[in-house]
Amino acid sequence: MYKREIPLLITFLSGMVAVLEYYFPTDATKNAFTVLKNWGIVIAAFALGFGAVNLFIVYGRRFRKAPNPVDRVFSIWLLVLLVITALVGVSLSSASDQYQWIYNSIYLPLGATMYASLCFYMTAGAYKVLRAKTLDSTLLLITAFLVILGNTPLSAAIWKGFFSWRMWIFDVIVSGAYRGIRIGVGIGSIVLGIRTLLGMETGYLGRR
Amino acid sequence: MGLEKVGALPRWLVMTIVVVLMAIPLIKPLGILPVISESTMDYYNAIDQLKPGDVVLFDIGFGSGGYPTLGPASIAILRHCFSKDLKVVIMATQQEGAVIYPLIMDKVKPEEVYGAKYGEDYVFLGYIAGVQTAMAAVLGDLHSAAPVDYTGKSIDTLPMMANIKNADDIDVVAYLTTAGEIAEGWVYQAYSRYKKTTCGGWLSMMTPSLKPYYDTGALTGMLDGIRGAAEYEKLIGEPGDAMKTTDILNLTQLWVLILVILGNIAFFAARGKEVS
Repeated sequence: MYKREIPLLITFLSGMVAVLEYYFPTDATKNAFTVLKNWGIVIAAFALGFGAVNLFIVYGRRFRKAPNPVDRVFSIWLLVLLVITALVGVSLSSASDQYQWIYNSIYLPLGATMYASLCFYMTAGAYKVLRAKTLDSTLLLITAFLVILGNTPLSAAIWKGFFSWRMWIFDVIVSGAYRGIRIGVGIGSIVLGIRTLLGMETGYLGRR
Repeated sequence: MGLEKVGALPRWLVMTIVVVLMAIPLIKPLGILPVISESTMDYYNAIDQLKPGDVVLFDIGFGSGGYPTLGPASIAILRHCFSKDLKVVIMATQQEGAVIYPLIMDKVKPEEVYGAKYGEDYVFLGYIAGVQTAMAAVLGDLHSAAPVDYTGKSIDTLPMMANIKNADDIDVVAYLTTAGEIAEGWVYQAYSRYKKTTCGGWLSMMTPSLKPYYDTGALTGMLDGIRGAAEYEKLIGEPGDAMKTTDILNLTQLWVLILVILGNIAFFAARGKEVS
């Protein structure tokens, strides 16, 4: 019972408080919902701690069992840096110069590089893939071409029409398609919300 | 050399040219001004129309990966806010936002350039976990959701926070993010729930999926990646990193177009040979 009924009851009561606060905003419902939201923040922050524990379990296991020595080195390296960063953050605060140095000198350049490296893959990908082989791929090619032209200030500076074409593609073709998707997702979300509230949707409990 | 050979340029050559094209604007910026899009103009106007003393809630919803794109946009928006004497409540719904904040403020320099004072003109609440729960909590009862600021100081002791209690006291919600959940979350929590003027910015690749919110008026303004950031810099008249980055965009995307053309020339040349 404690594994199924109690979580379902908590979900139902929490959901009902949120619904009541929205449709009947009295002081009582507002206060109850405020308390719930603040609990939510605490639980979400706690989940971050669980994330760190999970990292230790997964990479600790990989360090011990991975057949490839490179995997072991990277696993232990991750855990060592995790401990160092956490220790500096907890003992000196994340606003300290030391923590800022770790972030600005190590993590920030690595994170930015990861994103930036996409540029190389996309260039090579466009070169190899964007070929007018079929009608579908020709349409994709033309659209990609116009969007790239419109996206670069250089081409728009040469002729503003490139920018207008891009905007037309975004406003008409892209928005039209995504609006349909959004409406579908919206209706699906309402149904999912009602099913979750009524205990008919239990996927979030981690089992069927 | 047959024309079909131009479709098989060595990978190293393609990549090397990308690197060279990235380096050129760093040495000599092209300085091509972007065309201002309507969505960026709307973002700018939403903030520009505010009166001194009005309140902007600004969310840093990105980390290191998004910093090269959204960092310059944050700097431009905050400069605009401080130049208008607005009160800015800054928060982070992304864990790294708290570490990104000093990087942004080092460039905005609110004290030196605009004479703004921490606690009187702006405040940083730090990272608040929970994404949409955090947004709902902050808009519902700010003092209860974030009782202390980033430095651990009670926000009740900060003069500007005396009159900022909940969504009713906030005029514009502005955010920049790399996460779809955050981008949509502010629409649901700030616009749908409280009908607040909400302006969002994100990476260009997220624009197609989020543009419907702008089209329908849920989002008053929209900043489309680095291009949007460069447009914002142009609007406030302070060219910065976004302008430099769009120079790189100009050259590398031009190279992509050339490669696509070469690839197709090679494809048709090879097909012509097969047919003949």
